[in-house]
Amino acid sequence: MSVVTRPEESGLSTQSQGFAIVVDGLRKRYGSLVAVDGISFRVKEREIFGLLGPNGAGKTTTVEILEGLRKADAGRAIVAGVDVTNDPQRVKSLIGVQLQASAFFDYLTLVELIEMFAALYGRQVDAPAILRRVDLEEKAKSRVKTLSGGQKQRFSIATALVNEPRVLFLDEPTTGLDPQARRNLWELAQSIRKDGRTIVLTTHYMDEAETLCDRVAVIDHGKIIAMDSPITLIDQLLARGFRRRRVEREANLEDVFLDLTGHELREA
Amino acid sequence: MANPLAMLTMTAIKMYVRNIQVIFFNLFFPVMIVVIFGLIIGNGNATMNIGVVDQAHNPVSQTVLDQLRQVKAVRLYTGSLESERAALEKGDRDAVVVLPPSLGQSPVALSAYYNAGKPQESSAALAIMNRFVDEVSFRYAQIQPSFTLTAQPVHSRNLSYIDFLVPGVIAMSIMQTGLFSVAFSFVAFKQLGILRRLMATPMRVPDFLLSRIVTYLMMAVVQMAILIALGLLLYHLHFVGNPVYLIIVGFIGAAIFMAIGFTISGFAKDEGAVAAIANLVSFPMMFLAGVFFSLSNEPAWLQPITKLLPLTFLADALRSISLDGANLWAVRGDLLGLAVWLVITLVMAIRLFKWEVV
Repeated sequence: MSVVTRPEESGLSTQSQGFAIVVDGLRKRYGSLVAVDGISFRVKEREIFGLLGPNGAGKTTTVEILEGLRKADAGRAIVAGVDVTNDPQRVKSLIGVQLQASAFFDYLTLVELIEMFAALYGRQVDAPAILRRVDLEEKAKSRVKTLSGGQKQRFSIATALVNEPRVLFLDEPTTGLDPQARRNLWELAQSIRKDGRTIVLTTHYMDEAETLCDRVAVIDHGKIIAMDSPITLIDQLLARGFRRRRVEREANLEDVFLDLTGHELREA
Repeated sequence: MANPLAMLTMTAIKMYVRNIQVIFFNLFFPVMIVVIFGLIIGNGNATMNIGVVDQAHNPVSQTVLDQLRQVKAVRLYTGSLESERAALEKGDRDAVVVLPPSLGQSPVALSAYYNAGKPQESSAALAIMNRFVDEVSFRYAQIQPSFTLTAQPVHSRNLSYIDFLVPGVIAMSIMQTGLFSVAFSFVAFKQLGILRRLMATPMRVPDFLLSRIVTYLMMAVVQMAILIALGLLLYHLHFVGNPVYLIIVGFIGAAIFMAIGFTISGFAKDEGAVAAIANLVSFPMMFLAGVFFSLSNEPAWLQPITKLLPLTFLADALRSISLDGANLWAVRGDLLGLAVWLVITLVMAIRLFKWEVV
């Protein structure tokens, strides 16, 4: 799969050059609740960018605005060179979205679903090749409900790849997966980035963000309260005098678990 | 196939035909109703059970029996006087006729016994017997009848219960498909987040709705075809309707019930709520609208209400078209009723149906 390159929108080019996403002063309120309170950030091309934050912090709303699913009250967001607030449909055709609850039509095979999703973008695709990309070639004729948790998430990512998106949004892709499947999904995310795509990842797992993300933004109460590379944020914390009460050993329990059970994927 | 609407429609059809539960309720269930009711309540026009006691045992009596066997409405039994009378007393015969030894040498005196509890069937049976015996006797006696009667066949609407039932069940299954398929699938899609996922693609919402509507309309045609074919094959269904009119009326009915389905999916929280509401709408209607039994059996005070139900208009129109060969103008009263319902239900659907993606 090759990188989709589209001409940048002329009026916005100076601002979004080299960036997959430019967000400026985004605001969204529901009644009296301010969900997003003036958020600004930029995501570079081919970056894996993490959005972290407790539940209700505003990260989901932010992502949904970027995906063209919600309208912002104020501010601007340019995704893949397109102003989301002006042209959400156009943005949708340039991005890929993996949603947290990965439900798909029942009674259809994986190949049929991939072909259907491709048609929604006006495309015809080599569905088996896309399934091979996420290691699901053997499941081509199966239904989603027969897949394991990890396979479901990989399939969900496959449906998000049918339009060769410039930006891929992953919403808690490893929630509920066993350590083997999580690692497998991390490898997939890294290889998708190698294809030249930008990834925006929301997660509650800090080890995941630390492993995958080039930079993370920590959101709370609708505002970004920190944004940098994980290692820089850690260094900053240590510089403020933070010390763990108990010194970690060279390995942790997950290392023990993986050593005992192996890295091999467990899938029915 | 890169056309979104075509692909969505194909997808919807695949999902429909692969869903055993839906196939059961929308296709197999109506078929079962027709088969079972047909078996219980009777096959075609009333048949007469005629017992004949042949005391003549001559070519004339043999011809009478042969000819009687040709009559579709007659089930012929032969036996001794005692056994046939016993059967008559048990109610297994409508009439028993004795062919005396003198048969064939006119004049003939026929003694007949009939079931006083079934005067209609008995008199019909006796009339048939009279005619046959006369005719055969005349032929054998080489006597020219003094006058000949030329009978003009008149195709009267000699309808059976199955003729009444099949269009009613078609209307019922159109209702069930529209109501349940739409409401169930949309509530499920919403609950599972499928609509949300689709909204993250450039899919146009009208394409999605249209793909579903087209699928359910196609299924309405399939249901009609299957039920009519079944009636024709199994029960000699009296069908003289123009299929195009039938399909047009079926589509209008399907549109009304789909609109109700969309309305229900707008406020039902989950599939359990859908089942409750859809059953509440469809179940009373099924029995009040004259699907299984004629409305004339209903209490008079109820009739003004039941006559205005959408299913009543649909069943009546389908019946007139398939049984009387009525055209659309002839069923304009029902069509007007359906049109009013279509407007009402569409307004409800537009007001209450929520796409509700995020």
